[in-house]
Amino acid sequence: MNQKVFAPWDDPNQKPLIQFQNVTKKFGTFTAIDDLSLDIYEREFFALLGPSGCGKTTMMRMLAGFETPTSGTIRLSGQDLGQTAPNKRAVNMMFQSYALFPHLSVWENIAFGLKRESKDKDAIAARVEEMLRLTRLGKFAKRKPHQISGGQRQRVALARSLAKSPKLLLLDEPLGALDKKLREETQFELMDIQEKTGTTFVIVTHDQEEAMTVASRVAVMDEGRLVQVATPADIYEAPNSVYVADFIGDVNIIEGNATPDGDRVRIDWAEGQPAIWGTAQKPVASGERISFAIRPEKVTISKEKPEDRRNLLEGEVIDIAYLGNISTFHVKVGNGQIIKAQSANTRRLANRDITWEDRVWLTFTETAGVLLEG
Amino acid sequence: MRRFTLIAVPYLWLLALFLVPFLIVLKISLSDYALSIPPYAPTLDFSAGWQGIKDLLSKLDFENYVFLTEDALYWKAYLSSLKIALISTVLTLLVGYPIAYGMARAAPEWRPTLLMLVILPFWTSFLIRVYAWMGILASEGVLYQFLSFLGIVDEPLKILSTNTAVYIGIVYTYLPFMILPIYAALEKMDDSLIEAAEDLGCSRMSAFWLITIPLSKSGIIAGCFLVFIPTIGEFVIPSLLGGSDTLMIGKVLWEEFFSNRDWPVASAVAIILLLILVIPIVLFQRNQQLQREAEG
Ligand SMILES: Nc1ncnc2c1ncn2[C@@H]1O[C@H](COP(=O)(O)OP(=O)(O)OP(=O)(O)O)[C@@H](O)[C@H]1O
Ligand SMILES: [Mg+2]
Repeated sequence: MNQKVFAPWDDPNQKPLIQFQNVTKKFGTFTAIDDLSLDIYEREFFALLGPSGCGKTTMMRMLAGFETPTSGTIRLSGQDLGQTAPNKRAVNMMFQSYALFPHLSVWENIAFGLKRESKDKDAIAARVEEMLRLTRLGKFAKRKPHQISGGQRQRVALARSLAKSPKLLLLDEPLGALDKKLREETQFELMDIQEKTGTTFVIVTHDQEEAMTVASRVAVMDEGRLVQVATPADIYEAPNSVYVADFIGDVNIIEGNATPDGDRVRIDWAEGQPAIWGTAQKPVASGERISFAIRPEKVTISKEKPEDRRNLLEGEVIDIAYLGNISTFHVKVGNGQIIKAQSANTRRLANRDITWEDRVWLTFTETAGVLLEG
Repeated sequence: MRRFTLIAVPYLWLLALFLVPFLIVLKISLSDYALSIPPYAPTLDFSAGWQGIKDLLSKLDFENYVFLTEDALYWKAYLSSLKIALISTVLTLLVGYPIAYGMARAAPEWRPTLLMLVILPFWTSFLIRVYAWMGILASEGVLYQFLSFLGIVDEPLKILSTNTAVYIGIVYTYLPFMILPIYAALEKMDDSLIEAAEDLGCSRMSAFWLITIPLSKSGIIAGCFLVFIPTIGEFVIPSLLGGSDTLMIGKVLWEEFFSNRDWPVASAVAIILLLILVIPIVLFQRNQQLQREAEG
């Protein structure tokens, strides 16, 4: 089972499908993409994640050929894409706005790219039928884009971009316009389609949950740079910076001075508060200023003082966010810092024993958090 | 009651300014030429009451319409008008489309200025602008002086008083009516559609034919009708810029009225012209309707 795990990025023999090599893109004096290098492998479902304006769309547009890098090269299957025009690339893009041709029917929209390859009519019809089946649009083939729903339009856009069997499919915030339920359904549909067709997907999204759900790897971007590129689990469990930890999911950041002790690190973070113990992922200098990041669900909350715990903080509940399946407790500890702890709501609301202004104890294991620089 | 008043106002307007004049012209077209004031007979005798109306109706006939079919001049003029209107419409489209396209592609902050420039000529009298063209196209006019200065021509131009001058005048005058609807259609178009077409394997050129043209179709059709319909009855431009061989029904109409003072025949010419125009006007309305439905 173990050697079946899909991880071409760990295999030095694998050739990447896409290579960004020191790519910089400037708009006038503004640097949208800053000396970025990145490898994406065949059959990957690669997610680009980052705040608005960080350059995600710009990267997609460079891959599709609508923008050319100011410097650096982009390779597809080892070949420099250079000035290759968009219509000469084995890359298709699904636009954020879908960009369906309003004067053509669903069928003709899907067939549009195939007709440009001047295939024979029967082959085109067969391929369009296949796409209609894949995206479950058979019933709507004759309708115009304005006669179908938002979700169906999105599937037409997907079918149209998949029809030419591109080596690489670019999806720019494909699900942005859908409601939560439809979005989740479509995410699984996308993964299913990706699996069936074996196409490499690069997806842009604002939604970190979406990135975590669909992607084989996630790239977190900030101001035209890659901050971290890793599997969703690694991004979540082992962020390499406060930025990533903060960007993905909920996190408590505790700053303090480090003192290494064997493979453990003691963090003195506030006067009169017990030190926190963490585990160093890499060597830490004595007295170094570091941040300890821990996810709320890894912090246990209780009213009785637990025994034998090295990481133990006392505080007062000041707020409770009830989210149905879980509750997040905001606990003010000694120095006034708020620490969030989460617990599953296995009991009904009325039976909950922790409530506002209770004195509580927070505990976590020495390996539950990560130590980050700065 | 208020609703009724609201609806009644435009209908009264139409009645007073379209239907009544139309009926008067129709009546004259069915009358006979007479050496009197007004120059036709019979006229309505109000003092006779109902009997007067009956007498009047009994004296009306289709003589003038029969006359129109007998003299080749008239149907030749109609045909020639249609031909000139058709060719002018195509020429205006060929000139207007690139302009509208360029305007729609221009940076958004430039568009209001460009739009203003298209509309600007309307601020001077149409007649003055046509006279200006006479000055430009005259055998030794501004154009001739300019071209001979460049050494391109050495003998006086033969443009004024030909059909070429008429085409130039019509294209110039009606260009804004072509540009504005096409521009409106192109401006609404989403740029990402062109990118999508290129992404799917189109060259720039084929993306233009397959996406841009079809999506501006309603604008093209509207523009063509807006040029074609008024051009058929055009009178000032062929009179001032055209020559003796420029045959247009508007000119015939004018001569019938003012030179021959044959109001009944002139009215018949006008009524037939109106009937000819009804067809493109209905088609135009249908295009507008379809467009509204497609957008709605
Ligand atoms: N054509 C352009 N001219 C000038 N600046 C541009 C252009 N296109 C993008 N930019 C700038 O480059 C930066 C990155 O833009 P980009 O569209 O890639 O952001 P994004 O990450 O996709 O954002 P969002 O999540 O909001 O879509 C932005 O600051 C944007 O203002
Ligand atoms: Mg974007």
